Amino acid sequence: MHWDGACYFRNMAVHWKRFILILVAGAAAGFLWNAASGRGFALGRSVLVQAGDELVQVADARTLLDRGALFLDARPRDFWRMSRIPGALPLPEDDFDRGFAEAEERLRRASGIVVYCSGFGCEASHVVARKLRERGLIAAILDEGLPAWQDAGLPVDTEPRS
Amino acid sequence: MSALLRSPRVHLVLRLLLGAVFVYASLDKIWDPAAFAKIVYQWQVVGPVASNLVAVTLPWVELLAGLLLIAGVWKRESALVVALMLVFFIVAAGTVMARGIDVENCGCVSLAKAGAPTAWPPAWMKGVGWFLVSRNLVFLAASLVLVLAAPSRQGSGSHTETARQRAAERAGLTPASGAGSQGGATQRPSAQGKT
Repeated sequence: MHWDGACYFRNMAVHWKRFILILVAGAAAGFLWNAASGRGFALGRSVLVQAGDELVQVADARTLLDRGALFLDARPRDFWRMSRIPGALPLPEDDFDRGFAEAEERLRRASGIVVYCSGFGCEASHVVARKLRERGLIAAILDEGLPAWQDAGLPVDTEPRS
Repeated sequence: MSALLRSPRVHLVLRLLLGAVFVYASLDKIWDPAAFAKIVYQWQVVGPVASNLVAVTLPWVELLAGLLLIAGVWKRESALVVALMLVFFIVAAGTVMARGIDVENCGCVSLAKAGAPTAWPPAWMKGVGWFLVSRNLVFLAASLVLVLAAPSRQGSGSHTETARQRAAERAGLTPASGAGSQGGATQRPSAQGKT
């Protein structure tokens, strides 16, 4: 291939100041928009966390489980059927009303409630905890969900359920 | 091939297409930064706070680079910014696929919740997968043409000089001897790189 571009490439007439300026100006516009447009959000914490959300870390969740807290699996029901934190009931975000009707009695009696989902970036546990709050039930959200639980070497019940 | 890659018309078309794609892709994300931040976090490439920073800044860089490409201002530099972003997108998509993470909506263009499956666009088009990587590779190729292959005519700066001088050489118009300074410039046109 006849490639005159090689000469051009060696010459590298890219103006790096312009290149950097595009990046910096874009980023600055983004921060300005986030601060001033009214459409922004708090940058310093996970975007999934809203006011009123109560997060619980794995170690504390373990303690709660030992003390008889009720665990809720906010993932789709099929995932709960395959594996779950021991004793957890299914309360999927996408099938909340049915799950809530099934679990309500036990939820009202529970000494503590912990909701979890599939970890990184999953919002289901947050959504379920908020819905429970609307119904007068306080539930803690397991930070980073089931993967954090498994990474800590804590038991998972893998007996299939129907 | 080389001539085609350096054709000003091809450059114009690539510029407008890439610019339009990036401007269009930035709008939804700019309109709802929090929703985009959730999607970035789902990619699990960076942590929660870093995801927020990416979500806030990336769409504006896309918008700015896209507008510059369309306007034809700072063409090479904005094409280089676009190429850089595409490399990040492709690498990130590769790690997502390698780790088997299911990102239902890649958040590339639209932020609509995955929710109910839609006939159009189908899931394989919305999620992170081979379609996304292939599409980004095509975009990357287009942006690299804009960065690396100088348009043969109407180019800006040094290249116009080079092309003119080459044309002049072919026509035998460049004094081969006598005008020392000019001869030097002919041999090393790259010395005039600065616009």
